[in-house]
Amino acid sequence: MAPQQSARPGWSRRAQYGLFFSFLAAIAGLLIGLGLLALSLVAPSAYAGVRGAALDVTAPVRSSLNAVSTTAEGLFSGAGSYWDSARQNARLRRENDALRRQAIQARAILQENKQLKAALALREKSVQSVASGRIVGSSLESERRFAVISAGSGDGVAVGMPVRAAEGLVGRVIDAGATAARVLLVSDRANIVPSRLLRTGQPVIATGRGDGTVDLRPLEVGKNPFRRGDIVVTSGTGGLYAPNVPVAQVIRLDDDGAIAIPMADPAHVSFALVERPFVPAALPQAEPIAGEAER
Amino acid sequence: MVRTALGRPGALDRRPKKLARAIPALSVALASLVSLLPIVAEVGWMPDTGFLLLLAWRLLRSDAIPAWWAAPLGLWNDLVLGLPIGFSVAVWTGAMILLDLSDRRTMWRDYWVEWLLAALLLFLAELFRREVDAAMGAPYPFVTILAPLAIAILTFPLAAFVASALDRWRLGR
Repeated sequence: MAPQQSARPGWSRRAQYGLFFSFLAAIAGLLIGLGLLALSLVAPSAYAGVRGAALDVTAPVRSSLNAVSTTAEGLFSGAGSYWDSARQNARLRRENDALRRQAIQARAILQENKQLKAALALREKSVQSVASGRIVGSSLESERRFAVISAGSGDGVAVGMPVRAAEGLVGRVIDAGATAARVLLVSDRANIVPSRLLRTGQPVIATGRGDGTVDLRPLEVGKNPFRRGDIVVTSGTGGLYAPNVPVAQVIRLDDDGAIAIPMADPAHVSFALVERPFVPAALPQAEPIAGEAER
Repeated sequence: MVRTALGRPGALDRRPKKLARAIPALSVALASLVSLLPIVAEVGWMPDTGFLLLLAWRLLRSDAIPAWWAAPLGLWNDLVLGLPIGFSVAVWTGAMILLDLSDRRTMWRDYWVEWLLAALLLFLAELFRREVDAAMGAPYPFVTILAPLAIAILTFPLAAFVASALDRWRLGR
C-alpha cells in the first residue's frame, strides 16, 4: 500500500502539530501500557476489582453461548449413544454391577473408619461448599490455562478458594467478579498441588504442564514409584486443598516422575463446586504472587 | 450511463456509512470478543484475534486506526481476555509505532511484504508474552509458542480479507 499522506504534513502548522501530538500520544500510550504491565507483575492484586468487573461484563455472553454449545454437543453425543448400543449396554451393565459391589465394600470401610476415628477421638473438619457454577469458558488464546465459572463474589466466592468437581480437583480461583470468577486449572504451569499417590501413600508434587497434563514428581528421591493408571489425590498439605480429592491419573512414566491427566476434565465437567480452603488461614497466601512459583 | 440505473438497487447513491470513522476500531473491539466462545481448550491454540485484525487494518490503510487508539483497544482486549492488564496496551501500541516506522522506510509494500511484517510482529508479541508469563510464575519452553504462532500467521490472510471487505463496505464502494 502507498505511504500515508499525513506523514508529510507540508506547510500547515495545524497538520504539523497534529502529527507531532499523535506521535506523542502513541509514545505515551506505550509508556502507560508498560507501566500498567509492570504493576500487573509486581502487584497483581491491585487489579482485582477491575478484572472482576470485566468478567462480569463478559459473563452473560459466555453463559448464553455456553447454552447453545451444550445443546449442540448433546445432539452429537446423543446420536453416538445409539451406535452399537446392544454391546455398549451389556458392557455398561457389567461395569455397573462391579462398581456397585465396590461401592458397598467402600461404604463398609468408611463406616469402620468412622468408628476407629471416633475411638481415637480424632476431630475432622468437613469442607463446606460455598457456591456452584458451570464452566462457561477458558483461555483459548494463551499458554495459561484459565477457566471461567458462572459463580462470583455475589455467591460468596473469594480469591484463592479451591474449585472441585465430582470427578476431581479443577483448580483454584484467581479473579472473582460479582457474577463470574476465573479459575486457574490444575494443568496450568503456575499451579502446584501437593498430593499423594493413592496406592502407596507417598507424597508427590503435581505441577501443570500447560497442555492439559500434569507433571508428577515424588518428594523423596529413589526409584520411580509410579505405575501407569495410578491415581494421585490431594494430601491436604499446605492447607488449601482438602485431602483425598482426586487430582490426576498417570498415563506415562518419565525419567523420575510421571505425566498424568487430570481426573476432572474441565471440558466435560457438569458442575464446579467452590469450597472454602481447608485451613481458613491459608486463604491470603493462596493469592498469586509474582515469581513465587518459580522453583 | 442509463445502464447504471439497471444495476443493483442503490447503485447510484452509495456513500460512506455514518459511523465510517469508528467502524475499524469497533471491528477490532468485536474481534477481541471472539475468544469468548465457550470452548474449554487444553492447549492455547487460538490466535489473538483482536491483534490480528488490528494489524490487518493498519497494514491496509494507516488512517483507519490512529496509532494512539491502540492503547484503549489494547486495554479492552486485556480486560476481556484476562491477560495481565497493560500487556496488550504495550504490545498493540508498540506494533503501531513499529509499523509507522516501517512506513517511512518503504515506499510501496506488496501483499507478501505485509504478510511478512505481520508474521514478524506476531512473533515478537508471542516472545514478549512468554517473558511476561515467566515473570508471573509460569515458565514454558520456547517450542510451545511455535504452534499457536503458526496458526496465527496462517490466519492473517483471513483477517486481511475481513479488513478489506469491511473497508469497502464502510466507504460505500
